[in-house]
Amino acid sequence: MLTKMKYKNKSVAILLALVFLPMINGCESYLDINKDPNNPTTAPITGLLAHASFETGDNVQNISNITSYYMQYLASPNAASSSDTQEPVPYDQTWFELYDVMTDLSDLEVQAGELNARNYLGIAKILKAINLGLTIDLWGNIPYTEAFFAETLTPAYDSDQVLYDTLQQLLDEAIVMLGSGEFTFEVGNDDFIYEGDIDLWIKTAHALKARYLLHLSKTPEFNAANVLSAIDKSYADNVEDATVSYFEEQINPWASVAQANDALILGGWISEQLVEAMDGTSYGVVDPRMPYMFGETENGEFVGTENGAGRGDAPEQGARSTLVLGTYYSSRTSPLEIITYAECKFIEAEAALATNPARAYNAYLNGIIAHMEKVGVESDEIQAYISNPAVAVGAGALTSDLIMKEKYLAMFLNPESWVDGRRYDYNYKDMTAPQNLNPNLGGQFLRRLIYPESETQRNGLNVPNVNLLNRLWWDK
Amino acid sequence: MKMKFTPLFLLVLCLATTLASGQTSQISGKITSEEGDPLPGASIQVMGTMVGTVTNLDGKYVLETPSYATKLIISYIGYETAEVEIGDRSVIDYQLYPDIQQLGEIVVTAMGLEQEKRSLGYAVAELGSKEITQSKQPNVVNALAGQVSGVQITNSGGAPGMSSRIIIRGITSLNPNADNQPLFVVDGVPIDNSTSESVDNTPRGLSNRAADINPNDIENISVLKGAAATALYGVRAANGAVIITTKKGKRGAVSINVKSSVGFDQINKYPDFQEQYGQGFSGDYSTDSFWPSWGAPIVAGQVIDPSYKFYDNTRNVMQTGKQFDNYISVSGGDDYTTFFGSVSNFQQEGVIPFSTWDRTSVKLSGDVKVSDKFNFSGSLNYIKSGGDRVPHDRIMETLMYWAVTQDATDYLNPDGTQKTYGNSNPLYAARFWTYEDDVNRMIGNINLNYKPLDWLAISYRLGTDYYSDQRTEIEPGPIGAENEVPISSTGFIEETRINSRDINSTLNLTINKKFNERFSSILRIGQDLFDRSSNSLVATGNEFDIPLFYHMSNTKELLNSQSKSQRRLIGVYGDLMLNFDDMLYLNFTGRNDWTSTLAKANRSFFYPSVSLGFVFDEVLNLPTAVSYSKFRASFAEVGKDASPYQTAKTYESASGFPLNGELGYTRSNVLGSPELRPERTTSLEFGLEASFLQNRLGFDLTWYQSNSKDQIIPVPVSNATGFTRLVTNAGELENKGIELVLNGTPISTLDFEWDIRLNFTRNSNTVVSIREGIESIPVGSQFGYVGATTSMILNEGDPYGNLYGTSYERYYADGKPEELEELDRDLPLLIDDDGFPTRNGDQLIIGNAQPKWMAGLSNSFTYKGINLSFLIDVRYGIDQFDQYGNFYSAFGFLDYSLNRNDVVIFDGFLENGSANTKPVWLGQGLGPDYANYGPGFYRNDYRGVSENFVKDASFIKLRNITLGYDLPASLLDSTPIKGVNFSISANNILLWTPWKGFDPESFSAGASGNATAFTGLGYPGVQSYFFTLNLTF
Repeated sequence: MLTKMKYKNKSVAILLALVFLPMINGCESYLDINKDPNNPTTAPITGLLAHASFETGDNVQNISNITSYYMQYLASPNAASSSDTQEPVPYDQTWFELYDVMTDLSDLEVQAGELNARNYLGIAKILKAINLGLTIDLWGNIPYTEAFFAETLTPAYDSDQVLYDTLQQLLDEAIVMLGSGEFTFEVGNDDFIYEGDIDLWIKTAHALKARYLLHLSKTPEFNAANVLSAIDKSYADNVEDATVSYFEEQINPWASVAQANDALILGGWISEQLVEAMDGTSYGVVDPRMPYMFGETENGEFVGTENGAGRGDAPEQGARSTLVLGTYYSSRTSPLEIITYAECKFIEAEAALATNPARAYNAYLNGIIAHMEKVGVESDEIQAYISNPAVAVGAGALTSDLIMKEKYLAMFLNPESWVDGRRYDYNYKDMTAPQNLNPNLGGQFLRRLIYPESETQRNGLNVPNVNLLNRLWWDK
Repeated sequence: MKMKFTPLFLLVLCLATTLASGQTSQISGKITSEEGDPLPGASIQVMGTMVGTVTNLDGKYVLETPSYATKLIISYIGYETAEVEIGDRSVIDYQLYPDIQQLGEIVVTAMGLEQEKRSLGYAVAELGSKEITQSKQPNVVNALAGQVSGVQITNSGGAPGMSSRIIIRGITSLNPNADNQPLFVVDGVPIDNSTSESVDNTPRGLSNRAADINPNDIENISVLKGAAATALYGVRAANGAVIITTKKGKRGAVSINVKSSVGFDQINKYPDFQEQYGQGFSGDYSTDSFWPSWGAPIVAGQVIDPSYKFYDNTRNVMQTGKQFDNYISVSGGDDYTTFFGSVSNFQQEGVIPFSTWDRTSVKLSGDVKVSDKFNFSGSLNYIKSGGDRVPHDRIMETLMYWAVTQDATDYLNPDGTQKTYGNSNPLYAARFWTYEDDVNRMIGNINLNYKPLDWLAISYRLGTDYYSDQRTEIEPGPIGAENEVPISSTGFIEETRINSRDINSTLNLTINKKFNERFSSILRIGQDLFDRSSNSLVATGNEFDIPLFYHMSNTKELLNSQSKSQRRLIGVYGDLMLNFDDMLYLNFTGRNDWTSTLAKANRSFFYPSVSLGFVFDEVLNLPTAVSYSKFRASFAEVGKDASPYQTAKTYESASGFPLNGELGYTRSNVLGSPELRPERTTSLEFGLEASFLQNRLGFDLTWYQSNSKDQIIPVPVSNATGFTRLVTNAGELENKGIELVLNGTPISTLDFEWDIRLNFTRNSNTVVSIREGIESIPVGSQFGYVGATTSMILNEGDPYGNLYGTSYERYYADGKPEELEELDRDLPLLIDDDGFPTRNGDQLIIGNAQPKWMAGLSNSFTYKGINLSFLIDVRYGIDQFDQYGNFYSAFGFLDYSLNRNDVVIFDGFLENGSANTKPVWLGQGLGPDYANYGPGFYRNDYRGVSENFVKDASFIKLRNITLGYDLPASLLDSTPIKGVNFSISANNILLWTPWKGFDPESFSAGASGNATAFTGLGYPGVQSYFFTLNLTF
């Protein structure tokens, strides 16, 4: 009986071993199924470029949706709206989108480097310089050298001044890469800006160099000759503008704003400042561009909204000028401008003004003409405008005020305008502080953004302590 | 032990009582078992007194009874307690029957083990078939509402087939996307209870998959709450388990059950609408304005147009919902085989027209006893479910835009286009913007049981749960008629195909060992395997070419997406139960899991549990009034793996692409980590249960604490890292609570019985830690106009579910505190110079979405064949964001906005501390003081302050009241019918709540989401009436 029991126990043990052991041993490969079937572990350079080049347009628009209120192109229909009144708003989403694109561009750089795809590498560097420049000009010091590869979860902040060297370096490297002739891979429709036209990318690199060099206008580092030599290698025509294309499936983001406004999700209302700068109130000359840039009221007038005041008793539709479908800036498939021929002309005018007024004046007029032609103004209207005495002052009488005024109009909705505004100390004629201005600003205009909450909450030790009146290094 | 002490104790007691009483008489007799054996030590007590004695070794007794004694109570451990009329007898012999209830109260626990409730060291709640089906809830999750302590059921709304959420003992994960719901197990086989919401942005109120289970097929449900109870299930039941046992065939004649029920639904609660102002703005009369009700007084409009009037559109658009439930089951068997089969069909039309949900279920199960040593059984359940899930969010939204002086029910032009004065019509979208799901599901299992030896049993179970969920959404484009107002300028068709397959395999060995009369053990060891594979494919075709022809091939743009997932888990477990004298039970378990979702080095993890059950009434010699008493204690740990694909860095196809023929890729924002380790939850539980007076009164009290540590959560990181979240082990969440169940039978006579049961639950949780440097985790947020958007955010040190939003600024007499985190609503308002309250745009804590406590009370009265029962469900101290309220305020819909033309002085203080005295007008445009008030108080101020819409959503609900009648058997003697029951019942007909608006039990995230504080523009809740006929043959 005892032996039988033992025998049975033994057989149970063997049975158990037979059942369990193979299962445990065999399970290793059975369990090796955690490779994500939905998302690849590598991405093709074409897909990375497609996303980064297209999203760069969205970044420009995202930032413009902040800066256009500071620069009083747009005004909120709601009273005391935080962007109108220059409140310290942590623009987390904008920061995220910029780093998202720069991260993809960093991966693109690595992969294009490995593949020796120099055209992809060059374009990646230019796009990075665009996004990095946008980021620096909003926030000053930002993470860069420790960023993008999660080597640390709390990346250190680099100085904005040092990063300005990085911008030039990225662009110089890009020019070398793109100028090197034969390419193993062809860039095509995956480039939503130039569809792979390398010459235009090189011109864009030079245009950006000029833009960033001009940013130094207040600093001892400023060198007008360097700006002009970069301009010489930049665009020759509106058609060369760096713009992002939009499609019926993915419409221009300003067109979305206009469309939403039609559906009473209010937005895209034009500031009184801009309307008065164009309707003769501020400068005594009526600008023919108004109907080509924004909409009119039910009564066929152009009426702006005062920044910070909201619409008051105006109804939600029909009484104020807003962005509308069908114009150059806000049609469904409108291109979105990053940097343009017209801007280059105004850069040239500003840089040449001190040393070569004739060149400056010529650039000034060409900048106006280029912008007017682009938005669709008829040639007789253009002629009338540029021969108006308030505009056609002659080379000798050209002032930086006039250049800045015209550049302000030609840079409608471009975030670069806020750099101009700060360089120019918001000295535009009749540009007054908004109603309900953030009282902590003491009547002054803001000079920068505060850092996003995602940074203060997750990288707090590295985030510089700033307020809205602290100036970036080039603004001092 | 009992033999030694109890008689002595009772003898003393007996003597004392005898001495104390006056007039007495004597009763004697013999107490025997069914077989006629004497029962020594049986207790004889005079009802309602302390007078009593016990039988001697021959089962005999002699008892002096007071003259007023009418009944004896005769009890013996393990036997049914009897009440015996004394009458004028002086000799009372009595035969006791074994008490199956008490000795053998069997509950189903983890792994489908049937265990004596007496032996368990943790809380288990059980519901029987009657409790499950009484409320006529087609969704088994809803059927549990209010009936189980520690369990929170939240219905996501009133749509047919809509999902319902179940949380046991609080939320356990800091991960906003985690499923905190328990595992559902049917007949030992885990099933899928996921809720797959519609992919587009309009919520459609889809089903949680457990809704496929037909409640009529359920025999009972056990709810396993703590980690000790679920230790054997391991990972998958880390949030508890709902163990469903379905009906089986029984030996004996074939029994046929036919049940037919018809029900009617209505919205149970409406907001209070204003009926005095019509379409327009600034008080102006209009018939084409966008604005639904900021216009002229309707009486003034009637001067212009006599037919101008108020339409109660929200009520008019709704219909009476209908439900039909038909069920037939056949069961029977002999000594060797039993079988059970059922067919059922449920059909429902919702209160919002065109919303439907149907379910057809066919079930077969059988059990074959091959020999004394071997038997096998199997079960197969086929379910077909689905319906048209109307875009309720859009319907309810457009209802709020639709002018109150226009008839919303008049929505269709003769040519089939939308009839409108300008705004979108809610009914037109309900009818034509369809979303139909069609689920075909097969749940099956097979069990083999082999008992080669007395002390050894081997069982094997294989189960599968397979379903396909096919969905088609059609948004029509223009039909090409003149001047039509289409829903969409392009239209689209979206086809979704979800296939999911679960396989579960369990091998179990049970080894019984009886060491001696008083000490025995049961050892179970087993191996468990789980394999889930799912594949979801969504194809969208945009812009129809030929109108009204809805086919993929007829669209101009095709987009598709795919999501695949596979998860495997292997577990080995052991469970040792030691039983000392049926009094002290000690249970050890251990389980090791190997999961596919963690990297090789971390995929294996072990966790133990120990629990103790101590039945102490026999040890402590408690008074006989205590029929049963037990102390429970348990400690358990449970591990939890990650969801699939969290261990790598990946790229994803960028949204918006393909575009212009190009694919876009972007680095995934979530950084996976190969270093992920399993999460750990440790839980501690103590319980005390007792019943008194022959089980007429009982309680069960439980205290628990559980700490979930090392959570696998995507923690937010600096975006400059190239990621927004890093999946890592971090954080701890603590849940603590008490559960109390009281039950009693205040009245029990032959003809009349009253049963009452109360359960009470209090759970509090704390986010103990998140991760160094990370302050908070956002769970979700919901849109509110101009800054009234409200968010649920987790912060270290705070409870789960805090709601953040904007508020009215308060006046602080001693200056505003620097770091203000929470709004104190009791403080006076700070009034601006313009006379209106100042808005505080800072995000303050303005509420919490977890209930402070919950309770359920059920009562059942039975008089002969008539049964009346009702269930009251209470949740207290819970806040929600009322998105309806926010929208209504923007459009002047509710009765409080009738003061729109009043001049008021807001209570509060100015910055300088003086009381506000400035009268202001609440209306729009020029006020009586000729000041311009713009769009007026409600649009300028009120709608933009979250505080106005985060409100107490406590409620007391009469979940169900049922009146049933069993026809007396004597009437059925000459028929083949064995039983007839007719019942009428009603759900949710009474609701007390401070909440304004529709039933507060509604949220827009669906059962799979954790942001339950947001009502969204949900499908309004309903009340229902049912008529049911049940025949048994």
